[in-house]
Amino acid sequence: MLKTAVADADLEGALADWRRWRRDHRVAVADVHWIDVLYRAYLTGIVCLVAVVAASSAVGDTPIVAHELDDVLRHGPGWLGGIAAVAIALGLRSGSRGGPLALERADVRHILLAPVDRTYALRAPALRQLRFLSFVGIVVGGIAGELASHRFDGATLAWVATGALGGLTAVGLSIGAAYLTNGLRAPRWTASLLGTALVALAVLEGVDVIGFSPTEPFGRLLLWPLELDGLGVLPVVVALVLVAAGLSLIGVCSLEDAERRSTLVGQLRFAATLQDLRTVVLLRRQLALELPRKRPWIRLGVHGSGRLPIFVRGLRGVLRWPAARVARLGLLAVVAGGSLRGVWEGTTPLVVLAGLAMFVAGLDGVEPLAQEVDHPSRRDSVPREAGDIHVRHIPVAVLVMVLTAAVAALVAMAPGPGEVPPGIAAVLILPMALGGVGGALASLLAQPPSMNEALTLAAPEAQGIRLAFRMVWPPALATLGAAPILAARQVVEDGRPGVPAALVAGTGFAGLFILICCWVRMRERVHDWWRAQLEIAMPKRSEPDSA
Amino acid sequence: MPEPILVADAATKAYADLVALAPLDLAIPAGQMVALVGHNGSGKSTFLRLAAGLLDLSAGAITIAGAPAGTSDARAAVSFLPDDPVLYDDLSVREHLAYVAALHGVDLDGDDLDGLIEIVGLLPRADDLPSQFSRGLRQRTSIALGLVRPFQLLLVDEPFVGLDAGGKQALLEVFDELHKDGAAVIVATHDPGFVERVQRCVALRDGEVVHDGTATPEDVLRLVSS
Repeated sequence: MLKTAVADADLEGALADWRRWRRDHRVAVADVHWIDVLYRAYLTGIVCLVAVVAASSAVGDTPIVAHELDDVLRHGPGWLGGIAAVAIALGLRSGSRGGPLALERADVRHILLAPVDRTYALRAPALRQLRFLSFVGIVVGGIAGELASHRFDGATLAWVATGALGGLTAVGLSIGAAYLTNGLRAPRWTASLLGTALVALAVLEGVDVIGFSPTEPFGRLLLWPLELDGLGVLPVVVALVLVAAGLSLIGVCSLEDAERRSTLVGQLRFAATLQDLRTVVLLRRQLALELPRKRPWIRLGVHGSGRLPIFVRGLRGVLRWPAARVARLGLLAVVAGGSLRGVWEGTTPLVVLAGLAMFVAGLDGVEPLAQEVDHPSRRDSVPREAGDIHVRHIPVAVLVMVLTAAVAALVAMAPGPGEVPPGIAAVLILPMALGGVGGALASLLAQPPSMNEALTLAAPEAQGIRLAFRMVWPPALATLGAAPILAARQVVEDGRPGVPAALVAGTGFAGLFILICCWVRMRERVHDWWRAQLEIAMPKRSEPDSA
Repeated sequence: MPEPILVADAATKAYADLVALAPLDLAIPAGQMVALVGHNGSGKSTFLRLAAGLLDLSAGAITIAGAPAGTSDARAAVSFLPDDPVLYDDLSVREHLAYVAALHGVDLDGDDLDGLIEIVGLLPRADDLPSQFSRGLRQRTSIALGLVRPFQLLLVDEPFVGLDAGGKQALLEVFDELHKDGAAVIVATHDPGFVERVQRCVALRDGEVVHDGTATPEDVLRLVSS
């Protein structure tokens, strides 16, 4: 029964043959019609076109004046270098957690456990990934360059080419860092520390605290059409070296991490296509090994069943948050606060960034409620309406988000360019917190479309609008929560105090939030009523008599 | 005593502050059949996965045929049958076997493949996609995949789950035949009756070895009660 291997068998050749066979077999079996492929390309093209036109109108085409150009040349490399710093930090993070490759689970079990050379086995998927991401980098960078050419001197082609090269370099830096970190089996804390340090140095250089950061040459590369600086070649060389070194170590991978990623990434992609944001959040946490603490930050004693059980349950959950999640909320608060400063200085679209940051933070803030939604059988075993239980989870979410918004306000009111007056920043805390919670509630509790709903009878265009609305409405709510700063800025520009305007706008949003809470409380009843009306309007045909 | 095919030297696996496998010392001679028993969470699957190279050791070492677990030589020497069959969506049973055989440099013709498929009772379904099978049939496919390639040590994790009586009997006969052919076999199981077929029973409790030697089914029931 025991089998024997052929001496000097070409295992790598066998693997290559089989991969080729599977690829051809899949295409033949999938029976993909060329019309389908064209239609998907057409839809992708339309979406990209809309995104580019929207970005183009946001950037505008008023040429930069001379003193602004001096500013760009002086501070631009530092800030633009931050793109490379973030790219490298993301790569380091991914690599230290077994990324960036996400293999098929069966490949991990059968190929990586076979005596096939692992470097050979993993090189093909790694190159495929690199190829795809390089293409994305070139396209995104090229588009960014084209948009920049509207504002700056220099030939459009030069800006597009530089942008494309910059995008490609950023991808190389990120992926190379990821492969190398994975191959060296660098500890997670080392990777996080290095990534954070790079980003911090880039920010410090951008605000003139230090004169140079390691990623500044990348910024110089992106500004080549304005000033051709030899230092800009450095990031390209570093990217090539990182990618080459990373690919040489691709075989030194942890199967444990590879198997974990293989399961989770597949599920994550599926959840993303279904716009199932909650599942995406959960799977992303598992990928990052973000687990609740065994010991809570503050221990709340358990003395019998106690009062306010839902509020206390939520609090206990929050007190077990891992440090990574707390740090993430802090970072999002900094982003929101920084965006508010930008809004105050005159860049209005940054209010969307502030809202988005609070929305993403809100998705963590409503975690206790999300756990309830994840386990409906447990919730439904309680003799209470689901809406009643859901609405009682909101206070904990608001508490978490008030603390997050408070950090954002502190960042916004810190002395320096774009400083938001303390009174206005303080007034913004509550509406921003409520905006984050409101957006997260809308995202969490909106159910996927059901086949039984009347709206499924609507035309595809209406369905598309409905899906788009479902995607856009939650972050839009969070952005509305940050919008009072616009009201305050307007009246301050007119020479009047801003605090009352912010208060009025904030109070208006608080009213909207109360309506959202009512929706949370009553939605089950409304759905039941609607279902009953549909059944009256479209009764099911009764089964014919069998006799 | 023949050279050990598996040597675990203070092998440890910890997840944060949870120790799944305490420093474990174990030597399995070539050609020995071993039952690995223990309560749920005792570390049986963890140990087998460490030996197969699927998990990374936190400390200590495990060698297979003299090579560290997970290296190419060790992978060539060990075949792992997991408790959760992992199969490709787009390959039939026959294609699965041909693929894995090729990855291990085994030259098989159609009759050889069919012979193996027949042993696991899947010949009528040989051209079907096993990813769509029931749990028991996927388990049989997984068993065939473990047997189609060469090995000196077979690690089996809960093989009888999902198998009907016929499948279980067939698998027991396979183990006996492999043992006769000189392969070492380690089977993690909750079935107390299995110890009557083996020369050695290793019992784990909370990641530590609490028994290493012969055992009766009654001994096993006592050892696995937590």
